[in-house]
Amino acid sequence: MSIIRTENLCKNFGELHVLKGVNLTVEKGEVVVIIGASGGGKSTFLRSLNNLETITAGSIYFEDKLFVRAENGKVLEEMPKKEKKEALLKMGMVFQRFNLFPNMTVKDNVMSAPVHVKKIPKAQAEETAMELLKRVGLADKADEYPSRLSGGQQQRVAIARSLAMSPDIMLFDEPTSALDPELVGEVLNVMKGLAKDGMTMICVTHEMGFAREVADKVVFMGEGKILEEGAPDEIFNHPKTKQAQQFLGSIL
Amino acid sequence: MQKVLLWIPQLLGGARNTIIITIISVGIGIVLSLFLALGKMSKHKLISKPCSAYIFFFRGTPLLMQIYFIYYGLPQINPALTIKSAFNAALLAFTLNTAAYLAEDIRAGVQSIDAGQFEAARTLGMSYWQMMRLVIIPQTIRRVIPPVGNEFIMALKDVSLVSIIGLSDLTKVTRQISSSQATAMVYIPAMIIYLIITAVFTAIFRQVEKKNSAY
Repeated sequence: MSIIRTENLCKNFGELHVLKGVNLTVEKGEVVVIIGASGGGKSTFLRSLNNLETITAGSIYFEDKLFVRAENGKVLEEMPKKEKKEALLKMGMVFQRFNLFPNMTVKDNVMSAPVHVKKIPKAQAEETAMELLKRVGLADKADEYPSRLSGGQQQRVAIARSLAMSPDIMLFDEPTSALDPELVGEVLNVMKGLAKDGMTMICVTHEMGFAREVADKVVFMGEGKILEEGAPDEIFNHPKTKQAQQFLGSIL
Repeated sequence: MQKVLLWIPQLLGGARNTIIITIISVGIGIVLSLFLALGKMSKHKLISKPCSAYIFFFRGTPLLMQIYFIYYGLPQINPALTIKSAFNAALLAFTLNTAAYLAEDIRAGVQSIDAGQFEAARTLGMSYWQMMRLVIIPQTIRRVIPPVGNEFIMALKDVSLVSIIGLSDLTKVTRQISSSQATAMVYIPAMIIYLIITAVFTAIFRQVEKKNSAY
């Protein structure tokens, strides 16, 4: 069963056509890394999957059920509200700027959604939160406020916060792009651990080393479309399209 | 000099009214303003239009007219709308007026919060009210303390307008003493009292600001 499938996904911001027909299938347990030049639509595509952006045209399927179908900026068909809500709960997201809640401690950041959204009893949520914080190496920071943490630490807390909601798929939107180089590794290690544990992941990133190591599929996007798609080895060592060759040549 | 000592108790009596009216109307006004601000930002036109209209009206007409109209004008439209006590009428006018100005401060506060906060709350599945209650409003309160303190300090002086519906406040008492005793000297202790009140509340708000810079 595919977890996410998009068909001809298009997104316009007014006159600007950012996504011009993206077709992507992500299977359960797959780690998909999306690479490409800035402005190519990678983040916009990711954000369309969990409804942070509404699509202009095309369709998105979640677990083989229609999530939304649109044409000319109008929604033609979509999942019933309740089902949609449940589907969205199964998608976790990690942002470039972490977006931790500054008015809550680290532990409360991780616990808040499970307690209030899923109505999980506080004690149980607390236990899970501490386990997750331990997993990302930050159990000792549980009672600190996010402002006291480094970027890498904040991002790891953000990952724990998403994991606390037990998502089926994690979306990563350039998770290390805002980090100092020496802090990137600690976050990538957490992500690699997730991948090895079988989490379905879609990552927009510039970290090619990460892609090489854990990606099942690398997707090269440009000009609003998927220009090339394949196993990491194929894409990095034998890029077929000129754009991919140029892009990889300039950064590797 | 003896006269000043006689003036002080009267002036302080007026000051008491000034402070009470300000505290009550800003206190209630702030709660009302939160709903107005959220209402104005609502996607539902049925909610946002009336809130915008309210804010526009109370910011667009003089407070003096609002006080006068609520006390004298409403009963003439419909006797059922009579507010017998001038004190209550003043409280109502100030509350409604302050709420409108504070609503804009709160709206600015909410809109200054990074979009990422809203997005994170959404992706974690929080409903609108959960997001507001747990994430947005706590952060807004912190940002909004300086403007609210400012409104409070201004309101202390605006209260002087209640004299047009016969209420006594520090300014009214000052003017009474001044005309009955034919001396403008009473204004000096009166202004000093205003300065002291302002200084005290400014210090209070500064403390509240400091306490809320925890994160």
